[in-house]
Amino acid sequence: MGKPKFYDFCVHAVPDGENTVEQLSAFARHLGYSGIALANHSDKLPQSQPVLPFTNGFEVFRGIELVEENPSKLHGLIGKFRKSVDVLIVHGGSENVNRAALENPRVDILNHPAFAKSSGLNQVLAKAAAENDVAIGLTIRPLLHSRGPRRVRLLSDLRANLDLARKYDVSLVLSSGAMSCFDLRSPMETLALAEVCGLEEDEALEAITVVPERIISRNRPDPGYIREGIEVLEEGDYC
Amino acid sequence: MKRLLPSLRAKKRYLAFELISEVPVSRSDLVKEVMSSASSLLGDITASECDIKVLGFEESKGIIQCSHTKVKETRASLATLTRVNGKRATVHILGTSGTIKRATEKFLQNTTIDPEIRKIQNI
Repeated sequence: MGKPKFYDFCVHAVPDGENTVEQLSAFARHLGYSGIALANHSDKLPQSQPVLPFTNGFEVFRGIELVEENPSKLHGLIGKFRKSVDVLIVHGGSENVNRAALENPRVDILNHPAFAKSSGLNQVLAKAAAENDVAIGLTIRPLLHSRGPRRVRLLSDLRANLDLARKYDVSLVLSSGAMSCFDLRSPMETLALAEVCGLEEDEALEAITVVPERIISRNRPDPGYIREGIEVLEEGDYC
Repeated sequence: MKRLLPSLRAKKRYLAFELISEVPVSRSDLVKEVMSSASSLLGDITASECDIKVLGFEESKGIIQCSHTKVKETRASLATLTRVNGKRATVHILGTSGTIKRATEKFLQNTTIDPEIRKIQNI
């Protein structure tokens, strides 16, 4: 099987975060990741499309984190950006946005769905997420930076979502949600933190290796791919 | 006092780490921060079971000792360390070992800090 490849699917670079893509990718590579997804918030996009550095064995994926309160505008934004990005994340945090994101199969990940006094998910939304194959994104940045009551709250929300995700078989993605280099943590540390916070070892490993790979392969189909279930395996003249 | 027999001593693991920080950090500040983040994340009871000690710390690299059954908890609590003395810092664990000698040989000797990482530290 070999060594698993780790991915960090929510990293914010300049002008959203503090560091440039080059610095973030160099640091993530040093920590042992095989790839990161640059996912700036959609209200803080750079003027021009940044050139993504590519080095052997390390890839920076094009991503975006959509911030929009209005569900119908959100669907519009999803349509607008879907073609140009590899990873489409929705910035959750209200009932309408969570619902709109989980019911749209073109969304890849819904990040931090929790809002005031609720973990952000219920059985209806969890079922929708499983049907549309939208993953729930767990970002570790808030867990690192908060202490005391706030972190207790975050952890209990996480546990509630985890229970629902297990029951309805919703996939999870672990990411850093980094705003600067200092928010990045190595894969082993991320796994250890996730396990202390209530995930099982195999769930955590899957959330940082298999699920991100699946999202990428879904959004970058093979050349022979026509639509779901139909694929050109072998070309030739059959006249 | 007579030293415990080797078979009665608690088994340990040694985590070799590097600290990436905005400004150089002293050992005592780091120790304070490691302890407070461990007891904050795990609670005082589990943190005491982890038996965390910062052994050596020189030139932003060092060794942390912990109980051999609590490596995961120790790693998690080190991950939650975000600031030392008010300045941002990150602990990156290079590897774990059962003896100090091996941890030093394998992870701390002959490793130079990546020039790219140097740049980040100087921002």
